[in-house]
Amino acid sequence: MVLWHGPTPRVAMESSTSSGDIVALKMIVMMKQVPDAEEIFIDPVKYTLNRSQARGIINPSDENALEAALKIKEKEGGDITVISMGPPQAESAIIECMGRGADRGILITDRVFAAADTYATSLTLAAAVKKIGDFDIIFAGESTTDSGTGHVGPGVAEFLGIDQVTYTVDSRIESGMLTAERELEDGIEVVSTKPPVLVTVLINSNLPRRSRLRLKVDAIRKGVEKWDHDTLSLPVDWVGLKGSPTLVGALKIPEERKRESRPVKLEEIPALVDELVKKGIIKIGDDA
Amino acid sequence: MSEFDAIVVGAGPAGSSSAIKLASSGLNVLLVERADPPGSKNVSGGILWGNELAQIIPDWEKNAPLERYVLSKGTGLLTEDSLISIDFRSKKFEKNKTGYSVLRAKFDQFLANKAKASGATLVTGVTVDRVAVKDKKIIGVEQDGDVITSDVVILAEGANPRVAIDSGLRKPIGDRDVAIGIKEVIRLPEATINERFNLRGSQGYAGEYVLGFLPGGVKAGGFLYTNKDTISIGAVVNSADLRANNSTYSYNIMEQFVTHPFIAPYIEGGKVEEYSAHLVCEGGIRSVPKLSGDGYMIAGDSASLSFSNGLVIQGMNYAITSGIAAAETAIAAKSRNNYSADSLKSYDEKLASKYVLEDMKTFKGIEGVTWSNLMHKAVPKMAENIFFDLFYETGQPKRHLYEILLESTAGSGMTKSQLILEAYRAARRM
Repeated sequence: MVLWHGPTPRVAMESSTSSGDIVALKMIVMMKQVPDAEEIFIDPVKYTLNRSQARGIINPSDENALEAALKIKEKEGGDITVISMGPPQAESAIIECMGRGADRGILITDRVFAAADTYATSLTLAAAVKKIGDFDIIFAGESTTDSGTGHVGPGVAEFLGIDQVTYTVDSRIESGMLTAERELEDGIEVVSTKPPVLVTVLINSNLPRRSRLRLKVDAIRKGVEKWDHDTLSLPVDWVGLKGSPTLVGALKIPEERKRESRPVKLEEIPALVDELVKKGIIKIGDDA
Repeated sequence: MSEFDAIVVGAGPAGSSSAIKLASSGLNVLLVERADPPGSKNVSGGILWGNELAQIIPDWEKNAPLERYVLSKGTGLLTEDSLISIDFRSKKFEKNKTGYSVLRAKFDQFLANKAKASGATLVTGVTVDRVAVKDKKIIGVEQDGDVITSDVVILAEGANPRVAIDSGLRKPIGDRDVAIGIKEVIRLPEATINERFNLRGSQGYAGEYVLGFLPGGVKAGGFLYTNKDTISIGAVVNSADLRANNSTYSYNIMEQFVTHPFIAPYIEGGKVEEYSAHLVCEGGIRSVPKLSGDGYMIAGDSASLSFSNGLVIQGMNYAITSGIAAAETAIAAKSRNNYSADSLKSYDEKLASKYVLEDMKTFKGIEGVTWSNLMHKAVPKMAENIFFDLFYETGQPKRHLYEILLESTAGSGMTKSQLILEAYRAARRM
């Protein structure tokens, strides 16, 4: 295994040499199980999203985050821990990640975590990262398909007080530094930074590999660790709905206005334009 | 020392039944399924006939996700203008339930979870490449270059058995072995379905139709099954015919069936929730491959174990029975610690002694009847002529049925001698 020569302040791990500052690269991937967007439909009466028939999948950009970590692991060695916060059934998504090559899976699951907003979620995940202990890089998908805020990755970095590199499409290790390409509106920005660092990965930035039978069988044998608020020593008031400052005032779907059409004669047009002006729908001015 | 006692490829009715039996008998079993979740790649009609599941899940009728029980079994002939049908409904089916409509996305998940609960290791979302062979013996399965070892491999992959074919354990599927099945699942309120099919509560309707209105040489059948609040409707199209008639498309045949004037009202106003297509085993006993050998057995559709005589289509019960038989064979082989072809031969014997191979032998050549011109071209048209003549008041003196029958053969598109020959064949085989 190629060892990590980074200027990390981490204490030496079991694979360290006598110098005490060379340790195996430790990566964490944050993953969320989301309902498959193709199987969600809008309740025709209540206008809410019906997810009951949708199967759970790995959030698409989290697949890219895992793939980014796996590529680095292939080149540099090291190990990957996948953490996910969600209901017990999210375990299958973690097994899938381990089937692709992650070494360890942790499911952060507890009824008191339910209905957490991005603030409480970031806090909970940051607490989990702290409990894991040493790490070099945290990978996270840029945003989830079922909420789309993009808050959680950066939120975790803030709670941990570490650097973050967002919107990346590629990342690699170069002489102890993490070098990542950020896809921005006006081009690609190449950033190098010292670990520990949190990296958010854009959807479709790489081709996620499929899982392997061998690794999945091993993953099932190894199992997924389950952590609750006790494990994380988090007060109940800090997590879930209680720990969430976000208030949703209302959720509405604007009513579709019926539009009418009829054929008109050419000479009717001036009168129609006058009517549109009168109703304030269009404006005719010198600057028009 | 193998990693597993048995590896079962495919978590459909055959594979999961096998895994349930194996695991609950204390064997260390790996059940691998490419779909995640199990059932999501499936396109079965589907009616589950019989009570085979009771052998491994005694309370299955209470706990399995069943839609409706078959109270009413329909068989119909469709021509362009007419529907000639028999609707057999009986209070006897209420006491002795013989068939249930199932939605396999739910049903297969239920079975796979049962296997898991029985102690099987269930891996989903992975496709096995082939069986692993060492010294001419099957030692497990291969996936992405990795070998997972087991004493015996049970292949239960369904109608398109890639592992069996790619491992050389059965011949590639040909036009005569399979038809193309197309299915829509259409959502309708439960009360609407009850009203349209004259049903109450959990009573259900299962109908099969000969599509006698198709132009040209393509032959197809239709099916319509009621679920709780959906209808499964579909067509099964002869694949050899499709190949011979390049300008005919299976989806057009499906469309013609669902828009037929006497079928369309059943599904009117419904919302299509699923549209899918798959191979359907239709080859009869002739398509059944070698069922077992050194270290392997083939079960369910993978072994072409299905039955269709035009009146009823059965596959899941054959799958379950063969899956359980394979498991029993593996359990006996373990006790002898002998997984050789000789030791596994009892699987073939088990199937031969059960109705599975018995039915298929009794109805040998039935596919020649169900897919005959007689059934698809002549009979529907003749039946239409006969009934129309019988009931249509012309103001002329009435004629004997025999005369009408003779005359109707003229419009059938087949010569009298062809008709007699085919009718004789059909009578012998059915």
